[in-house]
Amino acid sequence: MQAKTFTLLLSFLFVSGSLFAQVTSEDSLNKNSLSTSSTTIGGYGDAFYQRNNNLGTSKVDLERFVLFTGHKFNDKVSFFSELEVEDAKVTGGESGGEVSVEQAYLKFNLNPNQYIVAGLIIPRIGILNENHLPNTFNGNERNYVETFIIPTTWRELGVGLFGSINGLPLNYSVGLMNGLNGSGFEHGDGLESGKFEGKNATANNLAVTASLQYYQGNFKAQLSGYYGGTVGESKRKADSLGLNSGIFGTPVALGEGDLQYAKGGFSARALATIVSIPDASNINRAFASNTPQTEYGAYLELAYDLLFLNKRPHEQQFIVFARDERFDMNYQIPSNGIYDGTLDQNHIVAGFSYLPNKNVIIKADVRFITTGKQNPDLIVNPNPAAVPYQVNNNLIDLGIGFSF
Amino acid sequence: MVIGSLSSCATLPVYKTAVANKQVSVPTALFAQSNFQLIQPQGMYYNIGLRKEDDGSYTALLLRCTHADNQLTPAGNNGYTCNLHGSQFDKEGHVTHGPAEHDLKKYPTQIVSNQIIINLS
Repeated sequence: MQAKTFTLLLSFLFVSGSLFAQVTSEDSLNKNSLSTSSTTIGGYGDAFYQRNNNLGTSKVDLERFVLFTGHKFNDKVSFFSELEVEDAKVTGGESGGEVSVEQAYLKFNLNPNQYIVAGLIIPRIGILNENHLPNTFNGNERNYVETFIIPTTWRELGVGLFGSINGLPLNYSVGLMNGLNGSGFEHGDGLESGKFEGKNATANNLAVTASLQYYQGNFKAQLSGYYGGTVGESKRKADSLGLNSGIFGTPVALGEGDLQYAKGGFSARALATIVSIPDASNINRAFASNTPQTEYGAYLELAYDLLFLNKRPHEQQFIVFARDERFDMNYQIPSNGIYDGTLDQNHIVAGFSYLPNKNVIIKADVRFITTGKQNPDLIVNPNPAAVPYQVNNNLIDLGIGFSF
Repeated sequence: MVIGSLSSCATLPVYKTAVANKQVSVPTALFAQSNFQLIQPQGMYYNIGLRKEDDGSYTALLLRCTHADNQLTPAGNNGYTCNLHGSQFDKEGHVTHGPAEHDLKKYPTQIVSNQIIINLS
């Protein structure tokens, strides 16, 4: 294992060395340079009202406010970052709210078709992970498949190569980054609690990701995948927990495919994904987290811009949409797992997105939720004041969003 | 096989060329079978999308996102897309989806002796 780690380290240093070696004073004076150094800022955010009809509750939340800061050193090297505040306020001792670095990486352009990123990076997995600005998707909430099955804005520390192939409408990406934290998995939130997101990540376990995108006519198709270890402990400690350690020990595998179509004012997107944790029983034995063996999710969204034919193109948009989301966060469970029917869900979401200009959006939608039944074995300390679980619910959302 | 439009291309014809006096020269013959060429000027870190219009003129767009300077990808019928934040531009270079707010940089072109001259200055 040490030899493998050493080889990976050498590879990284080699790539890094090659990159830095390319940046010379001669290059900085390149006669074809398009721009000098510059610093840019940008950002995005969204806020919405949500009514939960079953609980009879309503809330209003500034869900996200994110500031971009970028700096271009020259045409070859630039820096990009996103700093996020969730729920507007973070107070010591109180739950809720989060301040986090969502991305922070150096970008090295190799040529017009390829670049390398290094730092806190977002791998190309699914649609929303990479393109998550509120004016790029319909509905106030990000779709649940790309929230609970594919973690949303899933970033880790690593290095990635992004490129396109000369002569073909084909893009690709490959990445190497730290793996997940299997001891952090929590019942009911998929891989979410296993993410390190740049904070003291273990690096004994690593992950690889890759994607392929293909454009043809009005279609864009993508396949992407992730494979990584979840045990970053020392071998001695992992052995004592009965877990396989090493780079890809006790692995998580994720596969995803999506298809997008856009013509005139009509657009459609479909996505399917599956997560496999073959050693989930070992994780449960070590951490009693009721980790599933298999999760899956899929959705189909159809949308139409009612203003497409009536207005000058690209000014205002009034998009009506409907989306069917289906996912099960414990589709298969190991022998020591407990099935939770509430994690098997179907959501129908319908509503509209009004964009007075391209970067400002006003959204309204209703989400009809149907789940499986609650498993009484999972109710350890029932709250006498709790509303009895209902398999049908609906949420009404009204909100705003922006990006710049 | 090169099919004659950006919108329906199964391949993306690419022409690599040098930059001389801040100009790029592209043979008009390249457009005999296609109305689109991806131009890769030597030493530049962005492609140029060169498209032959119906009136015989040529439009040269710098494929650099106007939001965060990322390289753009030709997106079939739907112009150009930026994978970094999702900005999209139509084949004329107009923004169709943010966060980009400005259209793509357009270079002037002229035809001299069966060569399309793209002026990069």
